[in-house]
Amino acid sequence: MSENFEPNVVAFLCNWCSYAGADLAGTSRIEYPSNLNVIRVMCSGRVNPMFVVNALQQGADGVLVSGCHPGDCHYMEGNFLARRRVALMRELLNFVGVDERRFNMSWVSASEGAKWRDVVKGVVDNLHEVGAFTEFPRKKIDW
Amino acid sequence: MPDFDKLRALAKETISRDDIKYLIGWRQGTYGYRTSPHFVRIPEDADQLIFSPLCSSNLATYLALAEKRPVPRGSQPDTRKVAILVKGCDSRAVVQQLVEQGIKREAVYVIGCPCEGVVDLRKLEEKYPHTLDRVGARWENGNVSLDLPSGNAVFPREEIVAGKCLTCRYPNPVIADVTLGENVEVSGSTAFEDINRFEVKSAQERWTFWRDKFNSCIRCYACRNVCPMCYCAECILDKQNPAWIQRSVNISENTAFQLARAFHLAGRCIECGECERVCPVEIPLSYLNRKLVKEVTEQFAFTPGVDPEAKPLLVGYRPNDKGDFIL
Repeated sequence: MSENFEPNVVAFLCNWCSYAGADLAGTSRIEYPSNLNVIRVMCSGRVNPMFVVNALQQGADGVLVSGCHPGDCHYMEGNFLARRRVALMRELLNFVGVDERRFNMSWVSASEGAKWRDVVKGVVDNLHEVGAFTEFPRKKIDW
Repeated sequence: MPDFDKLRALAKETISRDDIKYLIGWRQGTYGYRTSPHFVRIPEDADQLIFSPLCSSNLATYLALAEKRPVPRGSQPDTRKVAILVKGCDSRAVVQQLVEQGIKREAVYVIGCPCEGVVDLRKLEEKYPHTLDRVGARWENGNVSLDLPSGNAVFPREEIVAGKCLTCRYPNPVIADVTLGENVEVSGSTAFEDINRFEVKSAQERWTFWRDKFNSCIRCYACRNVCPMCYCAECILDKQNPAWIQRSVNISENTAFQLARAFHLAGRCIECGECERVCPVEIPLSYLNRKLVKEVTEQFAFTPGVDPEAKPLLVGYRPNDKGDFIL
């Protein structure tokens, strides 16, 4: 792995908790790695596992799905539904040989700016270890 | 030829009823070991019905895919039932479709056929290639007996039946309005030895294996078309906007397609093995499916297609679902 490899992480944050948590980390001047491309979704239950496959195809090295803590979901059960899907998709990706550290999920509430920093640091550190995603990125055709 | 009188008599009696639209069964195919789906609309057609170890196709596919034509003005919709012959695995497909409300219970009449395992045509083709004459087959005391052009041949069950049948836990129909013949002994187990053996390999080895398999995929979508659970009117594989899976045949899109297909069967796959049977490039699709079956069994203690009153796996949750991967 090249020395200056910086992973590209796509983060799906739920509008009500994790996005606000990341916002709090920002307004509190908490420093965390800048490898994230944040996509705000209304609920972690909105994240179709195909989003993850698609992100990996389009050049992401890792994906982070973050939602409210169990029981705190704005829509009552969205994060529980997401948890089942993510658990199965992680296993499937792992089975075909994609490192499971590329697909992460976390619960971060709106008041957990510091936890958000730790989560992002953990994900990015892991991805530094795992390296660039080479299994099935979409080849860009250079006409 | 084995004796199909009982089956045909029952079929005739069924199709003569006023509340049955048509009956779906199997008949001898055009050549060799092949069998075809057979749609019986008049009692005379029932004379061609068979049920043998060669009847491997899952007819439940035809239930949800039946064409729904608009009802002409002034006439009543046809509410008659569709009768269908099911093996154990097919009956689970029927149940899963009922659970998902793809079909209605009052719209099907299920004729259960307990099954001792169907022949894997690839194994048979290896032993007797290029057989053109029609071949009959039957179960005999745990063996499979074939009437080949060269004479009768008997094989032990383990040698010739499809892989899915060796681990089959539901050889007897789980849902049936009427059952044909006696229930057979259940020999399969929930052990996922093949999956466990594959899982202990390194990620690199696993990806190399699947890369080679996925690379050979020609994206004919036969696995989707034959799958009794793939009956969505709109399929993401066909959608152009957004195009989750582009049409180009390369490793990236092929992998995305295979992952999408496998994931869409998570908690729904009833292990009939049809996808693997029809795959022209012999991708071990049931491996992918069985991996998810294993996870669904172990993590959520869920078995799809057993209880018509159950809720689908991914629309429900338990607060204490496994979540040790969550950061």
